[in-house]
Amino acid sequence: MTKRRPIASCSVGIGLRSPHVSEIAATRPELAFLEVHAENYMAETPALDRLLELRRDYPVSLHGVALSLGSAEELDRRHLHRFKALIERIEPMLVSEHLAWSAIDGTYLNDLLPLPYTEASLDLFCRHVEEAQEGLGRRLLIENPSSYLRYRYSPIPEAEFIAEIACRTGCGILCDVNNIHVSAWNFGFDPITYLDALPVDAIGEIHLAGHHAAEDVDILIDDHGSRVAKPVWELHTAALRRFGPVPTLIEWDTNLPTLEVLLDEANHAGELAHVHRYVDAA
Amino acid sequence: MCTDMSMLLELQMRLRRAVLGGDTAEIVAAIQGDGLDPAARVGIYRHHAFATLGDALQGTFPVVCRLVDKRFFAYVAHEYLREHPPHSRCLVEYGADFADFLAGFAPCEKLPYLADVARFEWALNIAATVREATPLQAEMLATVPAQKAAYVALRLQPSLSYFASPWPIDAIWQANKMDEVPPIDITSGGASLEIRRAGEAVSWRRLDPGSFEFRTALADGLVLAAAMAAATMRDPAFDLTAALRQVFAEGLAVAFCISPKQETSR
Repeated sequence: MTKRRPIASCSVGIGLRSPHVSEIAATRPELAFLEVHAENYMAETPALDRLLELRRDYPVSLHGVALSLGSAEELDRRHLHRFKALIERIEPMLVSEHLAWSAIDGTYLNDLLPLPYTEASLDLFCRHVEEAQEGLGRRLLIENPSSYLRYRYSPIPEAEFIAEIACRTGCGILCDVNNIHVSAWNFGFDPITYLDALPVDAIGEIHLAGHHAAEDVDILIDDHGSRVAKPVWELHTAALRRFGPVPTLIEWDTNLPTLEVLLDEANHAGELAHVHRYVDAA
Repeated sequence: MCTDMSMLLELQMRLRRAVLGGDTAEIVAAIQGDGLDPAARVGIYRHHAFATLGDALQGTFPVVCRLVDKRFFAYVAHEYLREHPPHSRCLVEYGADFADFLAGFAPCEKLPYLADVARFEWALNIAATVREATPLQAEMLATVPAQKAAYVALRLQPSLSYFASPWPIDAIWQANKMDEVPPIDITSGGASLEIRRAGEAVSWRRLDPGSFEFRTALADGLVLAAAMAAATMRDPAFDLTAALRQVFAEGLAVAFCISPKQETSR
């Protein structure tokens, strides 16, 4: 017989995008948290001032997109310092980054590029996560990427790779359910098996977003530009059954909808979290 | 281990070249096809990188984009990205040399003011992303001995930019921010501009030749005597006392130092 343990929070947040800032400030919708891309707030812009104002009413999650933890070179210390300075100002509830690389030899490519999953890249990535956690003074959550290519030599399955990073470094995992769906479709693996390979205790956040099908090839593209698709909601339900309700984010970065649509998606996620507020404890 | 790392580095350098529009041949051998041409898989990443970086440039240079139209801008941005990919990981800091690139980009020759519009938009971007520092009070200079006054160098607000153009750049820019672009006389003469952050807002103004020369010299780190000499060359009636009072009244100076060894002329 399995025991059922209650989970206190059913916390759902949304990605904060500049066209929605004024409306959120004026209407103060009920949201558990707001998430922003850290790199968009590292300069002294009026947008940073507005984020600091919203911070008085909402917990903020800082989602880094450019630390490039997978680069086969030293971490960019200047960028790490800027990230830390932002953390000190925002005092975020969560700090996350990606299982990817985006910069090499002084060039920043503004994309989350895939790593081959090997023993060597695992050692490298873990060393960088440890250095980043040390430098930032915070535990990181590492997000699984959406992928469109994999390497011929990449012997470790991605879910095992990310589980091992969490095990070795003590970091948490940001489980992007849409990314699992997209990559599973693109490479023909079973998304439930992927979920099952992730360690429950390490899951610190879930991301949900939209994707679209490429026009001429059978590939799904993660674009954060539409409502969460039905199969992703279904996979999310499976994730909630396994992980219990963890802070869940609705990400929407392109083709921005009205705030109302975004809040509608967040409500739906909240309802699911409420239904699955108990998790089967082993 | 070292070999493994250098192999990973080589792999990443190859993918970088391919993403930036270079040869994909040297990376495709490392990529599994999974039912699709590996080069097409690289193309998905390349498309994303160029599209998002192009959007970032368009966000920083909206009037340049409007002047050349969106499709042509996408082409210009593509060429610029290939030659000048970003170094900073904050995209608001991307595009510092876009104006110089435009100035040397042959297909834009018919719009001789385009590069200066880009310079103006870059200055607006700097002002929008740099906070104002606490202004220096003029009284602080009272501590400087009279014989050293000529060797005072002021540090100005970090949000400030100065640039002069033979074209009425501010008028061109403003007109192109409107829904319906009104007629602009581009032969109406140049503009010597000061762009800065003022509170939350970004502002700019035209300066008279003497003030422009004086403030540009100060921004370049020249001492007062040298800045005055430069200003007087442009405007024989230049009044140092009044100009300095104005610099402090506008809160432009944030610090000073005495630099007796500095040359007093440029």
